[in-house]
Amino acid sequence: MRRLRVILAILVCKAARWGLRVLGRGGTSVPGKLALRVCPDLLGALGRQVYTIVITGTNGKTTSARMLEQCLENGAIPAFANRSGANLLPGITAEFVAHATISGKMRLGHAIIECDEAAFRLAGPYLDAKVVLVTNVFRDQLDRFGEITHTLNSIRAGIEYSPNATVCINADCALCVGMVQGLPNPIRYFGVETALFDDGEDGMAEMARCPACSTAVVYDYKTYGHLGGYGCPDCAFTRPKADVAVTAVLEELPDTVRVEVQAGGERRHMTINLPGAYNIYNAAGVIAVAEVLNLGMSVTAAALAEFRGGFGRMERLNIGDVTVRMILVKNPIGCSQVLRYLGAMQAPMTLVICLNDRSGDGADVSWIWDVDAEILGQMGERLHTVYCSGIRADEVAVWMKYAGVDEGKIQVEHDTDKLLESVASSSVPVYVMPTYTAMLEVREKLAKQYGLSQFWE
Amino acid sequence: MELNICHLYPDLLNLYGDRGNVVTLARRCEMRGIEVTVTGAPLGERVNLADFDLLFLGGGQDAEQGVLLDELHNWRGAEVKAAIEDGAVTLAICGGYQLLGRSYKTWDGKEMDCAGALDVISVGQKERMIGDYMFQWDEPGAPIHIVGFENHSAKTYLGNGVTPFGRVLAGHGNNGEDGTEGARYHNVFGTYSHGPLLPKNPKLADWLLRLALERKYGSAELESLDDTLEEAANAFMVARLANE
Ligand SMILES: [Zn+2]
Repeated sequence: MRRLRVILAILVCKAARWGLRVLGRGGTSVPGKLALRVCPDLLGALGRQVYTIVITGTNGKTTSARMLEQCLENGAIPAFANRSGANLLPGITAEFVAHATISGKMRLGHAIIECDEAAFRLAGPYLDAKVVLVTNVFRDQLDRFGEITHTLNSIRAGIEYSPNATVCINADCALCVGMVQGLPNPIRYFGVETALFDDGEDGMAEMARCPACSTAVVYDYKTYGHLGGYGCPDCAFTRPKADVAVTAVLEELPDTVRVEVQAGGERRHMTINLPGAYNIYNAAGVIAVAEVLNLGMSVTAAALAEFRGGFGRMERLNIGDVTVRMILVKNPIGCSQVLRYLGAMQAPMTLVICLNDRSGDGADVSWIWDVDAEILGQMGERLHTVYCSGIRADEVAVWMKYAGVDEGKIQVEHDTDKLLESVASSSVPVYVMPTYTAMLEVREKLAKQYGLSQFWE
Repeated sequence: MELNICHLYPDLLNLYGDRGNVVTLARRCEMRGIEVTVTGAPLGERVNLADFDLLFLGGGQDAEQGVLLDELHNWRGAEVKAAIEDGAVTLAICGGYQLLGRSYKTWDGKEMDCAGALDVISVGQKERMIGDYMFQWDEPGAPIHIVGFENHSAKTYLGNGVTPFGRVLAGHGNNGEDGTEGARYHNVFGTYSHGPLLPKNPKLADWLLRLALERKYGSAELESLDDTLEEAANAFMVARLANE
C-alpha cells in the first residue's frame, strides 16, 4: 500500500513537471506539493536511500553547494543537487523525484541539498543527512523577525533530526559553535586563522554572546562581521580548534584567491576560483565536508580551482568591449563583503546597484543602511559612476550620498532598458549588484536585448 | 557650532538600518560646517548624558532586551530620564521607543517595567505589524508626510503625559486602533519608523538638529541643503502608499 502511494506520488510529480514544461514553465514547487499530498512521506522514502549532505546557514549556501558538487564530480561520486529556488520542502522533494525511477529507486547515491534553516527543520526528519554543513549565521532581512535565536533553534532542530550526521561547523562563528553545544553528533570545525583584511575591525556590530552565560565574547582577531577568534571572559567557552584552517591568504586577484590550508595534518596551497573573504570561508567549509567524504586533498584542491560560481555569484559576461560582473546581494554582511572586495580593486569601475523590495528580496530595504558603504566614498577616481536602479532606486541614491559618494557620480535610472544601454557604453568594467528579483530582471533583459540566451554558465 | 550625539546601546539596539539615522544627522551637520561627534554608549558603559545634545536609541531583538532592562532598572533608566527632563533632543525607534515607556507586557502576560521616561505602555501581540507605512506630522505647521517601515509585535498606547507624534495615513502606527503614531514629550520623538527614518525624511532630521542647536545656543539658523535625492525617495514612497 505504502509502495503504491510512493509510486503514485512519483508519477504525479513527474507528470506535473512534464506538464509545466510543455506549457513552457519550469518550477518544482507545484509538482512537489502535489506529490506530498499523495504521499506525505515521499521524501523519507527516497531520502533514506541516499547519502545526503545538507548545506544550511545564512550566507554562502549556493556557492558552497557548487564547490561541493565539483568536488564530488572530480571524485567520481555520482550526485545530484537542488538548484536555488528549489530549497523548500516541495522543491527538495521534486528534486529527489527527478532522480528516482518510477518504482521509487534512487538512481544516484549522493545528494547535496541546500536549504534555509526553516526548511532544514521541516525536511530534517525525512533526509536523515549524513553530513550537515552550517556555513555561518548572520542577520538576514528575509528573516523578518530579526531573531537570530529563532534561526539557531531551527538549525539545531534540523541537526537533532539528523542523528547519523557529521556536522561541519564554522569555528569562527560563536553563534554556530554555541548552537551545537551538547549535541551527540561528531563535529568537524573549519575556520580562518589569519586576518582577512588589514584595515582593522569593521563597523558592523553583530551580536555574539556566550551561549553559556550571555556575556559578550571578546576577540583575539576578527575576520569579518562577528567571525573571528573569540572567548568568553567569564567562563570556559572559547573558539574550538579548527580541523580545517585557512592559515594564510597568499594572493588576491580580481577573479580568484590563493590561500594556505591546514587540514588532516598537511599544509598546502590552494586556489579558489572566486574572490572575496566570504568565499574563503565557503571553501574551508567544503574542505571539511570533503574530508568527511574521504575525497583526498588533491581532488578537493583541483575542484576548488575549477568550479564555476552559481547564479549571480560573480558571474561574468562581455557586452561588446565591456566586461560585466554580477554579484547577488541579499543581506548587509554579504553586501559589506562585496563592497570591501570592490573597494580593494585598483582598476576603475562603474557600479550598478539594483534594489527591489519584492518578497524574494525582502520587503524591508532598511538593511542597506547596515552595510559598510563608506568604502565607496573613499574610492575617489576609481569609482566612475554609481547607477542606482530597481524599484527602490531613489533609496539607493540617498544611501550612496550619505555613504560619501560624490553626488555628481550618482545616477538614478529606474528604467532597466536605459540602464543596460548605459552599462553597455561604459568605458570601464562594470559591477552589477542586484537583489534577487532585480537580478532575474536584469538577466532577462540582457538575454533579450543582447541575444545572450545562455550567457552565464 | 558643535553638536554631540550619543548613540545609546549601539551593540543591542541596532536592527533594521537604524544607524542610518545617526549617519544622516552627522552628515547633515558636516554639510553645514557644524562640528559633530558621535559617541556610542553600549551596555555597561557609563557616559555623562549631560554632555550630549542628541540621544538616539534604535530597535533591537526581543531576546536581547533582558540584559538591557536590568541595566535600565539599575542606573541607566534614571540617567536617561533626567536627560529627557532636561530637554535633551531624543529620537527613539521601535524597541528603543518601547523601552523609554512605562512598561512592556508580553503577549503571554508577563509585565516588565521600562525606563518610565515616556507616558506610554506597550502590549505584545502574537501578530506582528510589518510593512511600509506613512504618517502625517503637523508640528512644523505645514503638514509633512513621514515614510518608514514598521516591524513590531507590540501595540503601544499613549498616556496623558504625551501627545502623538503623527497621524497614521497608511499602515498601523502605535497600535492600529486609534490612528496615532509615535509619541512626543519635551524634545523626545518616539516612533515605530525604521527604514531608517531620517535619510528620506530630511525635514524631520533638520527639525531635530535645529531643536538641539536652539537648546544649546539659544537660537539657530539652519542653512538649507540640496535635498533633491532625499525628497525623491520620500515622494516615491508617499505616492506608492497613497495608491495602496
Ligand atoms: Zn560564558
